[in-house]
Amino acid sequence: MEQPSIPSTQPTAIEKVIAFIDERVGLKQMQAKMLNEPVPGGSRWAYVFGSVLLFIFIMQALTGILLMFYYVPTADHAYASTQYIIHDVDYGWFLLSYHFWGSTAMVVCVFAHMSQVFLWGAYKSPREMIWLVGLALFGIVMGFGFTGYLLPWDQRAYWATTVGVEIMDKTPLLGDFMARFLKGGPTPGQMTLSRFFVIHVMILPAALMGLAGLHLFLFRAAGPAGPFRGTPEEIRAKTDYFFPRQIWKDIVGMAVVFASICALAFWEPVVLLEEATPDPGDYHPEPEWYFLFLFQLLRLKIFAGEFGQFLGAIALPGAFMALLAALPFIDRDPERNIFKRPIALIGWIVVMVSILLFTVSAIINREFLD
Amino acid sequence: MADERESMSPTKIGLGVLWPTFWTGLPIKLAFAVLFLAMGLMHFEGRLGLAFLMLLASPVTVFALPIITMGLESHIGEGVGIALLFMIAIPIDVWAFGVVARTFFLEKFRKEPPDGLGMTLWWKSALVGAVFLPILWLIISTVTATAISMVHSLFEIELFKGIPVAERISIELAIWGSIASLVLILLLLIGISLVGRMIRSTAEAAQPASDNYQRLITRWDLMRVPSDQGLMLTALTGTGVVLSLLFWAALPVTTPHPHECCKKPEVKAQPPFKPLEALNKDEKMIAQLSAQVEALEQKKAEAEAEKDKGKGKAKAGKESAPPAPKKP
Repeated sequence: MEQPSIPSTQPTAIEKVIAFIDERVGLKQMQAKMLNEPVPGGSRWAYVFGSVLLFIFIMQALTGILLMFYYVPTADHAYASTQYIIHDVDYGWFLLSYHFWGSTAMVVCVFAHMSQVFLWGAYKSPREMIWLVGLALFGIVMGFGFTGYLLPWDQRAYWATTVGVEIMDKTPLLGDFMARFLKGGPTPGQMTLSRFFVIHVMILPAALMGLAGLHLFLFRAAGPAGPFRGTPEEIRAKTDYFFPRQIWKDIVGMAVVFASICALAFWEPVVLLEEATPDPGDYHPEPEWYFLFLFQLLRLKIFAGEFGQFLGAIALPGAFMALLAALPFIDRDPERNIFKRPIALIGWIVVMVSILLFTVSAIINREFLD
Repeated sequence: MADERESMSPTKIGLGVLWPTFWTGLPIKLAFAVLFLAMGLMHFEGRLGLAFLMLLASPVTVFALPIITMGLESHIGEGVGIALLFMIAIPIDVWAFGVVARTFFLEKFRKEPPDGLGMTLWWKSALVGAVFLPILWLIISTVTATAISMVHSLFEIELFKGIPVAERISIELAIWGSIASLVLILLLLIGISLVGRMIRSTAEAAQPASDNYQRLITRWDLMRVPSDQGLMLTALTGTGVVLSLLFWAALPVTTPHPHECCKKPEVKAQPPFKPLEALNKDEKMIAQLSAQVEALEQKKAEAEAEKDKGKGKAKAGKESAPPAPKKP
């Protein structure tokens, strides 16, 4: 009787390498844990912001490292080296413009991610810790924007930082120390640039990586919140694993963000103003667009004077952040449907409309200054 | 449940189909948009947000955009790339409409999606957009302009003249912004409801789906998964690689917007140097010049010889002539 041919069971070289690593670090178990996470109610486009933020951060780190090959963080050479990147380094203008617009995309995605978590009621028990770490990450992203803005060392950078540090100075107890520490002297100079550079390329990335890791760990521990609508049967029927559908959506989200940043880099590439001097000349100092609403708020008469400036620049934003931090502990109602939480919905609309209104007002205000 | 499905408002239907359709096609369209920008085929002048919205909503703006551009003399940018982009968007939108509408028909209407649903819904939506969007554009432009001028004149009244600039800007913006936004939202809801009615009329002719809910979920879920996933992945990777290569090839090496300080002087390109040709040319020139020198030397020698000859003749004549009579 003829014996059936037995297929060769000899593993290939790649399989051997994978088996070698798997034996030592538990690769397959790790892969299964990462990809086979159930997503209640199935994959959704609304869940892509977290992954997109991680992608933007990686791209910012990559472009930042490439820019650091040419950038010189000294008051004498920062401006010239940035001009060199724009005008002489091959594709340097695109790298810098991508890095610049990437920071904007990061702020927009942080706002979108926070809004999604808030509207979905995903900050509620048992996800309070995720929300708190997320708020700290929001602060770090804002810190990236603030410290990175000074590095080109042109008039815009110099005066935006001057205004920002002056606002920080108004914080009670810590303000004076913080402002002196950041400036390193009576006016922004070499020490300021060095400190901002170190914070931008070392301290903040390290803090962001640590906190993002903690954020993900807490998220995996608590599990995804899922949709706020639908019967338990519907949600159960639609429940799916993270791979492949949610991963596919995440990839598409990343591609859209990448293409949007590229389009913005073409539409408005970074063009520096004149080199930084302690004389503003014709230039009207103003911060980056995501701080514009606060800047315009401080122009209102109600916030004039020493106390008014403290109220507008420190007390109000501080109280708002404190409210956000306390939110999961104040709002103990298990109801997550945003349409059944009118105060939350109205509050979110009021905040968004106010930010939009004051940002556009600041843009219109430029005409009056000119 | 069946009553709920039948009584679904046209606005809800329109929004339920249009919103995912807009986003489904966008990633592909955006890839082409970036490529055209890198190639310099199109430029957006300060209206990138509007251009993005137009591209996002291309299933309804595809015919409306040329009408708005030509008829109402309002454009989002320049370059042949814009027209090209909206032409490329047509097959993408037909596909996106098909994917989304088939799911919607099964999930919300519990009806079998008819053949060619994507194409049917695309041309009907594009037609609705072509008629409705220019009207919306005209109304919104008029309302916004009127609201701005009204608010401006309101603040010219003596009573409000003392209001500081920052407060005035925000109040004015809040007033005219609210009016314009309200009208815009109202008109958008009407437009979405028109598309919703059109989708509902298409659904009325469709056959009811007989499967249970779990089976329907599996069906619409599988509709989004290609039958040959390996082929799709290969095609997608290949397209990505080609697009990336085209992008890097088209991307300008140096900035298209140089700063005043760093403008480089225009350098004219030198013609390529060919040693053999140059040598031959030089040799020819040397030969020509030496021939000229030779000719000149010969001419000079001849002239000198002629001169010498003339001198000799004169000398001989002097010697043969009778001596002059001596004076007494």
